[in-house]
Amino acid sequence: MTRSNDLDLVAPDDVIENKMEETRNEKLETPTDTVKTANLKEKIYGIVGHTKHPLSSLLVNPHVFNFEEKDDAEKIILVARPHWITNLSWILITVLLIIGPSLLKFVPLIGEMPAKLQMISIFAWYMITFAFAFEKFLSWYFDVYIITDERVIDINFNNLLDKKFSETKLSMIQDITSRVSGMGQTIFNYGNVYIQTAAEIPEITFEMVPNPEKIIKVLQVMREEEEKEILEGRVR
Amino acid sequence: MMFGNLNNYLLIAVKICGILGTLIYLIFSLVIVKQVSTMSKNVKDKFNGVLIAFSYIHLMAAVLLVFLALTIL
Repeated sequence: MTRSNDLDLVAPDDVIENKMEETRNEKLETPTDTVKTANLKEKIYGIVGHTKHPLSSLLVNPHVFNFEEKDDAEKIILVARPHWITNLSWILITVLLIIGPSLLKFVPLIGEMPAKLQMISIFAWYMITFAFAFEKFLSWYFDVYIITDERVIDINFNNLLDKKFSETKLSMIQDITSRVSGMGQTIFNYGNVYIQTAAEIPEITFEMVPNPEKIIKVLQVMREEEEKEILEGRVR
Repeated sequence: MMFGNLNNYLLIAVKICGILGTLIYLIFSLVIVKQVSTMSKNVKDKFNGVLIAFSYIHLMAAVLLVFLALTIL
C-alpha cells in the first residue's frame, strides 16, 4: 500500500491507489515471463531432478502442494522435508511395539490375567502403537522447508499448540552454509542447511534435508534470479 | 476370605483405571483429529486426505475402546 509523498496535498494517512503496481502485476503474465519461468523450472529440474514419489523428501515445482501463507502470484520452486532415513528410529520402535504383545505370554503374571482383560489390553496397546507412529509421521510430513520465487520458508509443528513459521525474502539472504556430519549423514547424504539472513530472523535452518549441496545450488539460482528481477525492476 | 476381598478390590481398581485410561485416550484421539485438520489447513499436499481419514479411524477405534472398557471390564 503506497502513501502520497506530497503531504501538502493530502492527509498523511490517505492511501493513494498505485496504478504502477497494478500494471506491474499485469506484466507478470507476459509471454516473456512465461518463458523465463519455464527456463527457471528447467534449471531447477537440472539441479535436483524430477520428483519420483509423492512422499519424496524433495518436491520440485509441486503442483498439489500449497501452504496457507502463500501469495497468489507466488510460485513454489522446491519443498524439502527431512531425509526419510531420519524416520528409521521410530519405525524400528514401532516394529518392536507391534511384536511386543506376542512376547507377553512369556511374562508369568500377565499370562494369568483374565482373557477379556488381556484382549482389551492388547487392543489398547496397538492403539497406542498406532498413535505413536502416526504422531511421528505427522511431525515428519508437516515439517517442511519451502523455497518459492520470493521467499524461503520454514514451517514446523511441534504439537497442536505450537506452530512455527519463519520466512525470509530471497534478497535478504546473506550467507548459506551446509553441514553433513557423522557416518549416517555422510552415507545417506543428508544434513543441515543454514541460511543466514539480514532480516529479523537471523537464521533459517533446513534440518536433516537430503542433498544439502543441491539445495544450496537451488538457493543460489533463486538469488541470481531475484537480483536480475531487482535490476530489471520486476520485483513484486 | 481376606484374599478374596483383596482380589475384588483389585478388579474394581483395574476397571476404574481402565475406563479412566480409555476416556483420556479418547480425548487424546480427538486432539489428534484436530491436530491433523489444523496441519492440513496450513500445509496442503496429496496425502492430507489419507491422514485425515486415518485420524478419524483412530478416533472411532478409541470410541470402540471406551465401549469395550465399559462392557467387558
